[in-house]
Amino acid sequence: MQTSRARLFKEYKEVQREKGADPDIQLVCDDSNIFKWTALIKGPSETPFEGGVFQLAFAIPEQYPLQPPQVRFLTKIFHPNVHFKTGEICLDILKNAWSPAWTLQSVCRAIIALMAHPEPDSPLNCDSGNLLRSGDVRGYQSMARMYTRLAAMPKKG
Amino acid sequence: MLLLGESAGMVSDSVANASPLPSVPISKDFAKKKRANRSAKLKQCKLDARREQWLSQVKKKGGKEVWEGCHGQRNESYCSMGNANVTRVADAEHYGSFNQESDSGFRSNSPVRFNSAAGKHESGSNYGGSSTSCSSSAGYCSGSITEEEDGNDDCLDDWEAVADALAANENHETPPFDPPPEEKSIGRSQSCGVIPNDSERSTSESLRTGSKFALVNSRAWRPDDAFRPQSLPNLSKQHRFPNSNRCHGDGGVPWFCPGVLPAPTSCPICYEELDLTDSSFLPCFCGFRLCLFCHKRILEEDSRCPGCRRPYKQDPVKAEGSLQGGLGTTC
Repeated sequence: MQTSRARLFKEYKEVQREKGADPDIQLVCDDSNIFKWTALIKGPSETPFEGGVFQLAFAIPEQYPLQPPQVRFLTKIFHPNVHFKTGEICLDILKNAWSPAWTLQSVCRAIIALMAHPEPDSPLNCDSGNLLRSGDVRGYQSMARMYTRLAAMPKKG
Repeated sequence: MLLLGESAGMVSDSVANASPLPSVPISKDFAKKKRANRSAKLKQCKLDARREQWLSQVKKKGGKEVWEGCHGQRNESYCSMGNANVTRVADAEHYGSFNQESDSGFRSNSPVRFNSAAGKHESGSNYGGSSTSCSSSAGYCSGSITEEEDGNDDCLDDWEAVADALAANENHETPPFDPPPEEKSIGRSQSCGVIPNDSERSTSESLRTGSKFALVNSRAWRPDDAFRPQSLPNLSKQHRFPNSNRCHGDGGVPWFCPGVLPAPTSCPICYEELDLTDSSFLPCFCGFRLCLFCHKRILEEDSRCPGCRRPYKQDPVKAEGSLQGGLGTTC
């Protein structure tokens, strides 16, 4: 408990100090609870998510950093490894491959990398995974782009 | 496992024999009278003495070879020697004087002699079979046993006198130690025995001499013995433990670093500053450094290195071994 709090404070300071160092990631701590964070990440370029801004919710366990943070998408996203309804993310570093050396910032970077490189063989979104596994890259990209426009882009006008 | 059991047996033997031994009178006549009803105990004592001699030789010869030998072999043989070490009495250079003196003091004592000879052979073969050290040292030792058979079989009093003489020669150097701490330090010497640097070697040397004195103390002197040096302390646990602790600590930490990563100034896990101890602590051969607190917490959890996700080696000896292997493959 004490360790995780101290570590999160340090991470918070780090985030404040390096604000703008990574323009794709914006990490914000909850005002009243250091164990709740939200992040805004930009969809990587040359992917169907380009131009979208996706919101992530971090719930950090008290055993952090020995236990990984629980991360899910608050923004709807059409991606094989993200549950379409709950936003749950299937990513090994958030489960058994977690290492205490990772930070919230590096988790965000890993999620951006996952958006650019989906893993259709362990899908949480079966429709999306099946499109990719059947080789319908165009179908996948158009679906993903559509949901990016619908959910992750500010409404025009 | 067999060795462990035997060494435990030896310890209990030495404990059991500690009481009859001091009552052995210096005069030979009295000893002869008593011999009939104490032949069993005497036999046991002699078995112990035989083992000690034998083991001291193993230690001397086998140890020297094995330091230069391959890693695994050194480890095994050293461990077995460390186990057997519990009741060892003298190094090889003292062994010669041991033989001479005991020859001079011998009397004929045939029944016990036969018994002890048979028992001794049995124990000797036991050791040869159970110890995993190289067969050459085992062969050497069985040879030495048959050599010393002619002269050395005879009686316990001689052994005691020799032990006294030995102790008189050596007690000016080091105070003796009690058997219980000695056992512990031997266990530690096994764990650190695989590290072939000089400090470790000197430490194990001191452990050896320590164990020798431990035996001398536990057997050769009675509390009211006139020859017992006045300066000998009764307890020397404090004397022993710092040594063995240091040895253990050194064994756990591979001080030589593969030089993969520069030392960070703060722990990457808790972001606290690394102090001097932390920054010289390298628990994994991937070079990932962290503070001792976080390392301990990780050991309690999934026990994998945060840098490479490979499991930490809990046992220092094993960690050392895999460290060597890792160096071989990565560098």
